[in-house]
Parts: sequence; structure tokens; C-alpha cells
Amino acid sequence: MRFSSLLHKEFRECLPWMLLAAILFVAVTSVLFQTETYSENNSYRFSRLSPGTVISSYKITFYPAMSETGPWLFFLSIGLGLALGVRQFWIPNFTGTWPFLLHRSVSRNTILAAKLTAASIAFACSIVPIWVGIYWYATRPEVFAVPPTFRFFIEGWIFITLGLVTYLGAGLSGLSTAKWYTTKIFGLAFASLIIITTFSQRSLVWVLTLIAVSAAILLSRIFDTFLRREF
Amino acid sequence: MSEIVLETEGLTKYYGDSLAVDHLDLEIPRGCICGFVGRNGAGKTTAIKLMLGLLEPTAGSSRLLGCDSSALTPAIRQRIGYVTEGHRLFRWMSIAGLEKFQRAFFPKQWDDKFFTDMIEYFDLPKKKKIKHLSNGQRAQVSLALALAPNPELLIMDDPTLGLDAAIRRQFLEGMIGLIMREGRTVLFSSHILGDVERVSERIVVIDKGILRAYCSLEQFQEAVKKVIFTFADSVPNEVNIDGLLHCKRIEKQLELTLVGTDDEQIAEWAKSAGAENHTIVKMSLEDQFIEFTAPANQKRLFKWEER
Repeated sequence: MRFSSLLHKEFRECLPWMLLAAILFVAVTSVLFQTETYSENNSYRFSRLSPGTVISSYKITFYPAMSETGPWLFFLSIGLGLALGVRQFWIPNFTGTWPFLLHRSVSRNTILAAKLTAASIAFACSIVPIWVGIYWYATRPEVFAVPPTFRFFIEGWIFITLGLVTYLGAGLSGLSTAKWYTTKIFGLAFASLIIITTFSQRSLVWVLTLIAVSAAILLSRIFDTFLRREF
Repeated sequence: MSEIVLETEGLTKYYGDSLAVDHLDLEIPRGCICGFVGRNGAGKTTAIKLMLGLLEPTAGSSRLLGCDSSALTPAIRQRIGYVTEGHRLFRWMSIAGLEKFQRAFFPKQWDDKFFTDMIEYFDLPKKKKIKHLSNGQRAQVSLALALAPNPELLIMDDPTLGLDAAIRRQFLEGMIGLIMREGRTVLFSSHILGDVERVSERIVVIDKGILRAYCSLEQFQEAVKKVIFTFADSVPNEVNIDGLLHCKRIEKQLELTLVGTDDEQIAEWAKSAGAENHTIVKMSLEDQFIEFTAPANQKRLFKWEER
């Protein structure tokens, strides 16, 4: 009951950002898909090719609409992670609500767990189902000339997990009471470094391992900082 | 001897090089209503946060209900009510939402009727959001939230700060409601001495982080006194009397603020100094506090005060 009460409070605070991300993602992908489906633009594009024309296979397998959702998913995921991190760990510093929140008949671990769970639910209920829906739609027959591969789907998941890493980084920076030019910047800088490193890797296994390890590092730092911090 | 509910031993806190609380030693027994007074920046909020385990002490320790403050268990926190400075509550929540939130942490001891009665007494609509409440209304909600679980120990950090006289009175009446319950202990910080005088039994005076006084209100009121000596000729240049806090010369009169000096000592000194007569002036608690905590040789803010 205590955890669910905390979770409800945290989730309610995440709700506006979660809805904003979901609405934006649906709106953007709808516009992109409307202009680039098999039955309309793709067929129109291919119909202009005269017999005997040599074209690159890349042109056939390339599905612009699907690939254009990638940057949107990436930026929305990073944006959502930043917004949730700021909402949960920065705003209470300014509103001065930490003492009221912390004087609960629960441990600090429980309070932090409620925050992390609420943020995970916010991700799981906003861009995750939309991404799954998009992939499901794009792989249906006659939507695209060549359906997107499973790798493409996994790359979307990587963007989503990078959003979670950003959330943890923003949370850690928000919790830190150090000066900006010292350790306060560590959370955000570490998350940025992981994002940059991820883009320079080609192996999905390596990328997923990197994200998992960095998330574990950030999580352990967040728990440690939250338990020790003075409010 | 009654049970000690709140205890600090050499409690010290530094923020970098700045000393906020310096070796605070306190023992507050069960059932005591204790006013915690000090000027702005005296270290009241820091001391309270140290007691509640929200800050780590640099040295020393404190115990609430027998449990070390730095390791307060959820079960102990359940027995402590806390009104935060500035009544910082979740702005997006309604009063009813906050009630539900708070109740979840006190499932067995939450007094629904008490909370509703208090909210009705303060004439607050439960559907109203915290962000739409005035500072005074937030204070009332904050008090109702802290009192409804019927805490054994209530700690309030400047609860009447920024409230007008009428709301302050309502607030204090609400507090008295808790005090009427048996065995409840209250520690509240304030810089409004009238509030302290109205409800406190004991007083803790803290100044620049140092504990200056911890005694009953009557003891404090008896200890700090102002005496005006009138001299026929000139006022003596040197004043050597026990407990001298401040000394002010006004023509042929000498005004001394003394602490812990009894009437016999005053009479003896008056005789030895050659004073024609002396009068002990009755001081309000506020005047006593100001004189007691004012630094020696403090400059006056306005020059006309020096005349």
C-alpha cells in the first residue's frame, strides 16, 4: 500500500511527459507513413522506371518512412529520459519537497524504487508499445515493398534503452549536490558518452552489453547517492 | 525521571567551513512542549534536519524515540509528525489527494475524523489543489497532515512563518489540540516569541549554532532582566557585575541587561557604584530574547536609535 501510494504519486508526475512523448511519436510516424507506403509513393516511384533500367538494390530495400522514424524515436526517447530525470530528481530540489517526501514510514530504497519503477512504466506505456505497433504494421504484407528487418526493430529498442540511460544520468546529476564542474556533471556526461559510443559500434550484442553495463553503473551510483545524500 | 524522547549529544554540523550547529546537547522529556527559538540563520532548521536524519552530523549524535537519527526506521518515523519549513507540499495534489497519500503511510493510526474536522474548521475545500492555496492555507493543511496520524512526537520547523495573526492563532489552537492528547511531545522552532510564550513549557535558545539556553519558560523570563541605575553625578566608566550582557549610558542613567543576576547582587552593585536608585524594568519575552541574543557592541541600524 505504501509502495503503491508512492508509485501512484511518481507516475502521476511522469504522466504529462509520457503522454507528450506518445502523442508526438504517433503524430510523427503517422505523417511519415502516410506519405511512404507501398501502395502510394513507393509504387509511384517504381512505376517511373523504364524497362531495362539498372537500379541499386538499396533503392528497393530502402524504406524511407521506417528509417525516418529512427531519429524521431531517438530524440523522443532521449527527451523523455531527460524530462523524467529532471521531473523526479531536479524539481524537488527547487520546490523543496524532499523533506516531506523523505519523512515517510518507508526506507529511502523504497522511495527510490518507486521513482525508478514509475519512470520505467512511463517508457513502457508510451514509446515502447508505439514502436512495437509500428514494426507490426510495417511488416504486414503490402505496406512496404520490402518489410523492415528484425535488426531494424532491435535498433529501435536500442534508442529506447538509450533514453533510459539518459534518464538515469539526468537523475544522478540531479541528485548530486556537488558543483557542476566537479562530479555533478558525471551522470549526464556519462550518459552522453554512452550514446556517442553506441553510435560508433556496429555489433548489436556489443551495443546491448554496453548499455546494460552503463545502466547498471548509473543505477548503483543513484542508489548510493540517494542513500547518502543530505536533504 | 520521565522518558527522554529527543536527545542530542554534541551534535555538530559544518557546511564546508561554516559552522551551523555547534555541540548541541538537548534532552527533551515525553509530554514536553518545547519552543526552539533563534534568530535567522541561528541553526534551527539544520538542527531539526539533523534530528530527523535528513542531514548527517559532522560530529555528535541525536536520538529520537530511542533510535539513532541517522538510522531512523520506518516504524519510528511513523511515530513522528513533521511539519516542514515553508509547508512545502506537492503542488499538483488536491487536499483529498494528499490526505490519501499521507494516510497510506499511517494505516493503523490515521484519524480520518480528526483530519476532516480540522480541514472543515479551517474552511478548506478538499478538492482544492495545493497550488491554489495561500501560504496560510498550506500551513493549515500541513498541520492537519502532521496531526491526523496522532504522532507521539511532533517536530515543526517554523510553522507560523509568513502567517498573519489570525491564521497563526488558528494554527496554534490546532497545535494545542494535539498537546491536549496525553503524552505528546512537541518541538517547534519559531522566531515569533509570542507563539512560543503562548504554548511552550520549555525554551531552547540557539544562537549562531550554539545552545545559549535550555530551561523552562519561567526560568528564562526570570533570568533575563533590564535594570536602570540613576546616578547623582556621573555614570561609572567600568561596570563589573556578574551576568552582564549589555550596557548603555543615557546621560546620568545606566541601563544594564543582565542574565542570571539575582536582585541582591544588583542591589549590592548599585550601592558600591554609588547609584541613587535602581529600577528593574519588566521585559517581554521578545525583548528578553533580542537582548539575550544580540551581539555585544552591536551597531544600531538607524542612527536615531543611538540618541
